Amino acid sequence: MLMARLLDERLAQLYRAGRIFGGVFLGKGQEALSVSMGMVLNRQDVYAPLIRDGAGRLAFGESALDALRTCMGSPMGPMRGRDGNVHRGRPKEGYLPMISHLGASISVVNGALMAKRMKGEKKFVGIASIGDGATSTGAFHEAINQAAIEKLPLVLVVANNQYAYSTPTSSQFACQSLSQKAIGYGVSDHEVDGTSLTDCLKTMQDATDRARQGEGPQLVIANLLRLCGHGEHDDAHYISPELKASSVGADCLKLAENTLQSDYHISKESLEIWKEETVLEINQSIEQVQREGAPDPYHHSWKSLISRELCEHS
Amino acid sequence: MSLTPILMPQLGESIAEATVIDILVEAGALVQAGEDIIEVETQKATMNVTAPCAGIIDHYLVQPGDSYAVGETLGLIKPSSEEIPAHEPLSQPPSTQPKPEAPTPEPASPSSLPSEAPLRRSEARVKPTIKGLPVPAHITGAQYMSPRMKARMHELGLREADLAGVAGSGAGGRVTIQDFERFLSDLEETRLTRASSMRVAVADAMQRSWSRPLATVAQPVVLDTLLAHRSGLDPKPGPALYALRALAMALAENSATAGRLIGNQIAHPASIDIGFAVEADDGVLVPVIRGADRKPLQTMVAEYNQLVEAARHRKLPPQATGNSIATITNFGTFGLTWATPIPLPEQTLVLGLGAGRKAPYWDEGKEAFIPVLEAQLTLSFDHRVLDGGAAGRLLSRINALMSDPKHL
Amino acid sequence: MSVTYLEAIREAQAYLLEHDSRVYIYGQDVGAFGGAFKATKHLANRFPGRVMDAPISEDAMIGSAVGAAIEGMRPIIEIQFADFSTVGLNQVVNQAATLFWRTETPCPITLRLPSGGTSGGGPFHSQCLESIYAHFPGLVVCTPATVEDAYSMLIESVTLDDPVIFCEHKYLYYHLKAESLPKDALPLGKARIARAGRDCTVVTYSAMLHECLEAAEEMSAEGIELEVVDLRTVKPLDTDTIIASVARTGRLLCAAEGWPWGGVNAEVISRVVAEGFNLLDAPPQRINAKDTPIPYHPKLWSVHRPAAASIMAAVRNVLRS
Repeated sequence: MLMARLLDERLAQLYRAGRIFGGVFLGKGQEALSVSMGMVLNRQDVYAPLIRDGAGRLAFGESALDALRTCMGSPMGPMRGRDGNVHRGRPKEGYLPMISHLGASISVVNGALMAKRMKGEKKFVGIASIGDGATSTGAFHEAINQAAIEKLPLVLVVANNQYAYSTPTSSQFACQSLSQKAIGYGVSDHEVDGTSLTDCLKTMQDATDRARQGEGPQLVIANLLRLCGHGEHDDAHYISPELKASSVGADCLKLAENTLQSDYHISKESLEIWKEETVLEINQSIEQVQREGAPDPYHHSWKSLISRELCEHS
Repeated sequence: MSLTPILMPQLGESIAEATVIDILVEAGALVQAGEDIIEVETQKATMNVTAPCAGIIDHYLVQPGDSYAVGETLGLIKPSSEEIPAHEPLSQPPSTQPKPEAPTPEPASPSSLPSEAPLRRSEARVKPTIKGLPVPAHITGAQYMSPRMKARMHELGLREADLAGVAGSGAGGRVTIQDFERFLSDLEETRLTRASSMRVAVADAMQRSWSRPLATVAQPVVLDTLLAHRSGLDPKPGPALYALRALAMALAENSATAGRLIGNQIAHPASIDIGFAVEADDGVLVPVIRGADRKPLQTMVAEYNQLVEAARHRKLPPQATGNSIATITNFGTFGLTWATPIPLPEQTLVLGLGAGRKAPYWDEGKEAFIPVLEAQLTLSFDHRVLDGGAAGRLLSRINALMSDPKHL
Repeated sequence: MSVTYLEAIREAQAYLLEHDSRVYIYGQDVGAFGGAFKATKHLANRFPGRVMDAPISEDAMIGSAVGAAIEGMRPIIEIQFADFSTVGLNQVVNQAATLFWRTETPCPITLRLPSGGTSGGGPFHSQCLESIYAHFPGLVVCTPATVEDAYSMLIESVTLDDPVIFCEHKYLYYHLKAESLPKDALPLGKARIARAGRDCTVVTYSAMLHECLEAAEEMSAEGIELEVVDLRTVKPLDTDTIIASVARTGRLLCAAEGWPWGGVNAEVISRVVAEGFNLLDAPPQRINAKDTPIPYHPKLWSVHRPAAASIMAAVRNVLRS
């Protein structure tokens, strides 16, 4: 979580310094929920993180180096400059790279789970992470319906951070709570305080266990608040001060730090050391990425098919 | 029975109107279908408008001397039988060029007629007064060469001029690849000999030169004084060298006549370098004497003779070829009295000297004809750069210099 | 024994299911029902658990195919009518087509799109969408015109590691028959000279091939010999074969059932003009369906798309110029 937050802060800095091309999207406020996803997954599982899942990605096994490489467009990163920022992943390792169309990744997770089942694998699970905005998409509807029909071990986690860009949830859905959708699709629902790390870990464990055991899709609705703009180009002035002041607006990182100190007796000094070590790692990674340079357009393979003989010259 | 209009017919490609010259058959007369009734004149030819049907000419609407547009009603005729003239399509495709008054062009489909135009427009047929006058080809299509044609011609080293005799079977009379391949296979039946590279080079030069409007003026020059002058010299300059020197001096006085037109500018000669034509093998070479205006006649003889020898053996030194501003050609040596030579493509002028013949010359002083040796001097020139007057003055000056050669 | 175009597709799928355990078929009504056109008849029985019914969710069907492909499977998705594929367009062009480019992980999915018009089909059961899929990089687009190609090209498509849009023509399903299934075939990406000729090249694909061949037969009686090129795949386009044909004839007509704007015909002509300009004896032309949605009434439908008669008229136009 710490790494995720510090990394995010660094990315924001780089963005403002003009060192990152395109957009930068942070996950401030969602670290607790996101890291819980990564922590309950195993190597043979499938994970489709979304925009604000920096923490989950790290927990699932991504290195800060890969995250920075993708954001800074290094040819050594997993996307090799062909895609950037949060559009990154390693499909063969079960870590699916998102596309910009929200909700589209859920059915991809479904397909991976169907394949695993056909191949005879057991006790696997797939987590698809979305936000409140994505629940309005047709892709979400088709995918959760499909997962339900096929009784797939899908855990669909909705980070309800109250806003989709500038759109509040009152303009996104009319039901009282997103968890009410579960009964419509015939899936199980869980609702959790997204700001509490302990609660998130508990709920995610519960949901994934049930899925692994064959209880069908699990819809997890986590309530929290987005503590940053939609992207770093957005100042989020529209976020309601009441929400910011309320419990849903609490910073999960601070809460976690408090919990660590109070319930687990971790010292303030330890936390400081962790921060320093993390910052060091981030700085070293950035230096390395900067040395890696940019992709060379003149020595690039401009082929969009793996079957070379079927590629057309352009 | 209603009257049928007599319409100005389509008289040929790009003809928009014609002038009435003469009414051939008076109103009130009975005519046959197709009989000539009005004589009209266009820029290209004089033709007759014919009666659209048999009947009595009711009245004319036109005056001789006035011009009328294609399609306009020239008069009215009362058809003499129940046979109402059939509305047939034009024998020629309608013009695809817009009429001056119509802002939008008509559709170019050869098989459809404009919907508003009266169908009767098609009636009158044109009979050219001069038999055999060709109706000009449809411009759209006639000269079009497809990319494939051009590529094939390029491959074979052919030019448009080489296909002049090929009749086209394509749209608008254009030469198609099939016509072309047929032409080539017919060529295989013909005896062919390889043209020398000299021949090909001359052909290319003449083709390029011909792309300009060329004209010729001529004057006889009396050679007696020149020949007397020559007999007293050793070595003896040839008549062509006299002409060369005279031309050089005349051009030194006014070099603009040898300038070249490039776009809308005249490029002036830098130096009076004159070439002269020498027949060699299968073509013509043109050695050059540089600065001929600064070299008196006598001093050029050796150089001239050397160059002729060298040219005959195709061994001209590079500094003696190219970049001349005018050429002399002495076709008199072939027995020709006059000719219209074609200037080199990079030159505006070529001066020709014909064979000398004894001719009677009116001597004003003696008031009698006296025999003189006379030759025709011809000056062929690019008419874009100079007109008859300037050409005439130049030729007269050359003539004067050659008639009194002591100044050369 | 004879085999129809539809049977060839079924046999190809049976062959694939039998020889490659990674293959499965997913689509509406493909299971016990055997598919709307019976393309998967009995296959669910023969291969239990591998021919599965899908809900009416083209987006999820195609998205799940991508996920399954990442996990090593080779899904065949039967979209009931090509016209419905646009509901899942995002997953095709943004998920499947970009996966390899973005991640170097191949996406070996095959989408079968029953395409093309039949009498009375109407605007939403008759579309030919190969042009729009060909436009997006990362896809292979097949348009088999013969029974043999329907068989061999489907097998090759599923075997390929790239996403394939397989545009099978509904009209040919039951109307087109062949003696037997082929033993060998031209590879994907190669066009075929369906009829050698001399006076004009006609480039076409799918059901239009048969209209062009009919036109060619009739014109042959007038002494006009058309060379007909069957593209087989519209992406990649076999430009070499097309240009070689135009080199022989000097004239080109492109005939397709798709709509005029952009599309396969426009692409072929663009390439021939750019790379074979000096081979042309006349401007290249194209004939397409009319620029309107596809009409329902058979009389309207019969003139909406090119047919032998209109193709002949178009050829005459090319020959005349």
